Amino acid sequence: MAGYIEGRNVSLTFRPPNRAPVRALGGFDIAVEEGEFLSIVGPSGCGKSTFLNVLLGLVKPDGGEVLMHGKPIGGPGSDRAMVFQEFGLLPWRTVQHNIELGLELKKVAAEKRHATAERLVALVGLAGFAAHYPHELSGGMKQRVGLAQALATDPDVLLMDEPFAALDAQTRDLMQAELLRIWREARKTVLFVTHQIDEAIYLSDRVMVMSKRPGRAKKIFAIDLPRPREYEMRVTPQFNDLKLAIWNTLKDEIVA
Amino acid sequence: MTEQATIRPTFAARYRKILFGGFAVLLFFAAWQTVFLFVPFNPLFISKPSLIAAGLVDLVGSGDLFHDLAVSAVPFFIGLAAAVIVGVPLGIVMGWRARVGYALDPLMTAFYASPLVALAPLLVIFFGVGVSGKAIIVFVLSVFPFIFNAHAGVRAVDRLLINVVRSLGGGEWDLYRKVIFPSVLPYIVAGARIAVGRALIAVLVGEFFAASEGIGYAISRFGDIFALDRMFGCIFAVMVIAVVLTEGIRWAERAAFPWRVGQ
Repeated sequence: MAGYIEGRNVSLTFRPPNRAPVRALGGFDIAVEEGEFLSIVGPSGCGKSTFLNVLLGLVKPDGGEVLMHGKPIGGPGSDRAMVFQEFGLLPWRTVQHNIELGLELKKVAAEKRHATAERLVALVGLAGFAAHYPHELSGGMKQRVGLAQALATDPDVLLMDEPFAALDAQTRDLMQAELLRIWREARKTVLFVTHQIDEAIYLSDRVMVMSKRPGRAKKIFAIDLPRPREYEMRVTPQFNDLKLAIWNTLKDEIVA
Repeated sequence: MTEQATIRPTFAARYRKILFGGFAVLLFFAAWQTVFLFVPFNPLFISKPSLIAAGLVDLVGSGDLFHDLAVSAVPFFIGLAAAVIVGVPLGIVMGWRARVGYALDPLMTAFYASPLVALAPLLVIFFGVGVSGKAIIVFVLSVFPFIFNAHAGVRAVDRLLINVVRSLGGGEWDLYRKVIFPSVLPYIVAGARIAVGRALIAVLVGEFFAASEGIGYAISRFGDIFALDRMFGCIFAVMVIAVVLTEGIRWAERAAFPWRVGQ
């Protein structure tokens, strides 16, 4: 099967100076389809975030290949964008200017940048906050800006690295619903890394469980819950069965 | 808007910082003045606020004070500007390029730790008694706070923000412009507060050694002729300038970096 994004036998070892090398990924395979919402869960340090950085083009793997549209990924590109766990906002820029950052780097004319920022501010529900600085916003609002920043360059693929992990539980529930709404409107392929099984099931078309380090794909679960997803689905037997099955696959990999 | 629980602090509560500080300053001068009611006063060795104030009025009235200050301001600002132009890029490169940092750090630390003021006579011999000699002394003393603060600022740059700009397609130059420089700017301004103090000392020292005008020359000449009222008057003027400059920078910091308020 030729995927939209494909990783074949990807391996990566970090060699920090004066310390033992760390094998982050070893023989990692993945195939993501266009428009799909795929979540990756795995134990801490299994290399899930590393893989996102490889896809983003910030880190080069030592072995194997990572393809998008059948072409190897050589570096960052405007077809991919990341939403970071710690939001990734420049503190000296207002909401609007943070959203415009990617367009600025692509030398897009100011008028067009403003129009895009204005549209995205509305899309992520931050109307009236365009002139605010990040420190004036709550965690949930900051991540809305982070999402808008990633969407601004209109990438095909959104990479999300535990984007809601820094938020409180209620804000997180709200942001999950918001993300699904935005995903429906913007129609992106999403790779979503998380620690939370609930979150992965609720959001995704498929959930991949990764092994402990060096990370490999252990098992993939298809989530056949209907869309649009409703909050009530979280308490259905079907949801709970999936949760249990994923947990049973995951728990052997967790080293406490 | 209804007129409800808006708590208005009283005048005393609002200006409490200035009131307490100002009171302490007044108390200091009052104590200085009164102590000579009990201690014999010898104008050859010491002065007192009433005489200093009279001396200052003299100096201001004759225009001498402003002339001397204007003369001293030239090497002060030239030296300080050179310190910014050299120190900031050097500190940034030392912080961002690890090997440059490793190479230059010991040298810079040694220079910073050594009593550079002691080199002032030498610098005057090398570069002359004019503006350039003094500007170089100012530069030598005030460049290090810029180097070290820019260096520290770069090392405190959030790696995440570097990754954000890289992932959005930014190159090396974009990193400098969009992340590194804005992160370092508040550190540079903080460095400027230290540098201004050192630059003032540098001008005075330079003028002590070799000058025919300038505020440092005035202080040293009034000291030589035992005109202590006017000597202290000049010192007082320099002190006020130092306070105005450092407080001005502090104020500019708050105005220029509103995003730091929440940090």
